[in-house]
Amino acid sequence: MLQVENTLFTIVMISYFASMVLYFIYIAAKKEIFSKIAFALQAFGFVLHTVAIVCRGIGAGRLPLTNQYEFATSFAWGLCLLGMIFILRFKFYVMGAFISPVVFLMIGYAAMQSKEVRELMPALRSGWLGFHVSTAIIAYGAFGVSFVLGIIFLLRDKLREHGFLDQHIPDKQKLDLIEYRSVALGMLFLSFTIITGAIWAERAWGSYWSWDPKETWSLVTWIIYAIYLHLRIRRGYKGKSAAIFAVIGFICVLFTYIGVNTFIPGIHSYK
Amino acid sequence: MTVRKGFFKFISSMKFAVILLGVLAAVCCIGSFVTQNQTYAWYTARYSERTAALILALHLDDVFHSWYFILISGFLCLNLLLCNVLRLPAIIRKTRGGTSFRERLGYWGAWITHVGVLLLILGYSLGQITYKEYAAYGVPGQSMAIGDTGLVMTIDDFRIDLRQDDTVEQYTSEITVYDLASSSEGRKAKVSVNNPADLYGYRFYQNSTGWAADVSIQKDGTDLQKDTVCAGDYLVVADKPDLVVYFNAFYPDYVMVPGKGPSSLSGNINNPAYLYSVYFRGQILGMNVLMQDEVLTIDEYSVRFSNPQSYTLIQIKKDSFTRFALIGGLVILVGLIVSFYVKPPKRKEEDASS
Repeated sequence: MLQVENTLFTIVMISYFASMVLYFIYIAAKKEIFSKIAFALQAFGFVLHTVAIVCRGIGAGRLPLTNQYEFATSFAWGLCLLGMIFILRFKFYVMGAFISPVVFLMIGYAAMQSKEVRELMPALRSGWLGFHVSTAIIAYGAFGVSFVLGIIFLLRDKLREHGFLDQHIPDKQKLDLIEYRSVALGMLFLSFTIITGAIWAERAWGSYWSWDPKETWSLVTWIIYAIYLHLRIRRGYKGKSAAIFAVIGFICVLFTYIGVNTFIPGIHSYK
Repeated sequence: MTVRKGFFKFISSMKFAVILLGVLAAVCCIGSFVTQNQTYAWYTARYSERTAALILALHLDDVFHSWYFILISGFLCLNLLLCNVLRLPAIIRKTRGGTSFRERLGYWGAWITHVGVLLLILGYSLGQITYKEYAAYGVPGQSMAIGDTGLVMTIDDFRIDLRQDDTVEQYTSEITVYDLASSSEGRKAKVSVNNPADLYGYRFYQNSTGWAADVSIQKDGTDLQKDTVCAGDYLVVADKPDLVVYFNAFYPDYVMVPGKGPSSLSGNINNPAYLYSVYFRGQILGMNVLMQDEVLTIDEYSVRFSNPQSYTLIQIKKDSFTRFALIGGLVILVGLIVSFYVKPPKRKEEDASS
């Protein structure tokens, strides 16, 4: 099963890369057909990615959500899923050219991690693992989408010179709304992540909040998006300021996931 | 507008909330980068003396319990409370104008979320002030009093379940807890990682484990005392309290690594060795490794380590406000769902038009 997963993982990486290139061609060639092919390839990669994760789970005999590799590949999966949902929901194929590099970078990061299957330490053997990590995957995926939308928002005026992009990117008001939708989804799921994590921590470590660096940074991320939501309803702060916070928020997400595990040791450092 | 009114308006404003959140995030960042709860010597070794002094002066060594962290959290609670109180009449007015339950509910999202955050902060803060925590450790057969709780815990059994590759699957302690105030029989429980037990209003957690050994002392060839001592603990010589034998560490599969010192090749008891120190009136007399069956002689005393076994450490805790904080968390979730997905018609129209 793990060999199957390995093979599928390689195909998934190639699919995501090809999809990213096709999204770029779509913008360069200004032909709609490329966006459809790019999306189809992304969807194909996503399906195989799902199968690969399932194979990993069967091969490991547990939920494949416990080490840096497993979470990185799941993170890429969540980004891809949320990206596709938002592309389809808002018929916004240009977004594919922005989200696909993020997905590819994340799966590239996963490829650099050790794929060794290790047995779980007692603290990780809990039913809460599935709830805690799967909600984090959705939250991070949604925040990835809001990051991309924040970038597009900030570049919107410059992209106006590119006639094709100007036509295919929604106006700032709608961009802001889509970005808000993705932040709202991420915020809800991040709250689920923090709360399920706290319940689990109480059972495993005897304390539901220990100010462990990972916990602290997930709180920082939550606060950044809380600021985003407050700014958005203040007159004069909607739009650009909110977009900047959407970008900062995702940088916090990345630091919570990669930075904390790499630079600040704590009880969450399951490498 | 008077200064008082202006101040009141400011501390109840969203602008103040955003400033507080920003400061709180910044303080949390600092707290995550500076290793918490270390000594001045530790910070000096890690940074420079000046930085270490600055860390202590600014309470950066315990940011999350510092006066400014508590002040920010207090102001945030005040801001949320005022915001919710001031907005309540307008929300009630709008709710009365609603035609359906969903529409009426839609106005309450942010309000409910704020209540949740308030409950969470209050629950956590009260828990921090009132919680009680104890630790009890030992080997099967030992009994110990649990702090000032009036409870006594007996360790009936302790198991470490290993997988085929020698990794640990689970730590399980079987305990019996007695309430000294009542004459009733003790209550038995099985405690393992992720599976705490609730007894007499306290929660018992399987916290950690380590090595223990029997330490026997003879005086002039006659048995003087024998006790089970956990690594990290000490034994006071019964008839000479100035003399103390400290059990530093246990190496089940002992090997001396040049440049590194004593180490263990595996977790299996193949070549047991005990690292000990001897103190007399607080002054260290010596430190060395004693192999199984080797005898340490200090004047007329002979010390022997034997029967290495795992001890269990049980954490005992009482935090009556954990549920309060949990309810706060659940209220936040409800508030966010209402905020984002149960929208009043006016906001729906705005979204549609944009």
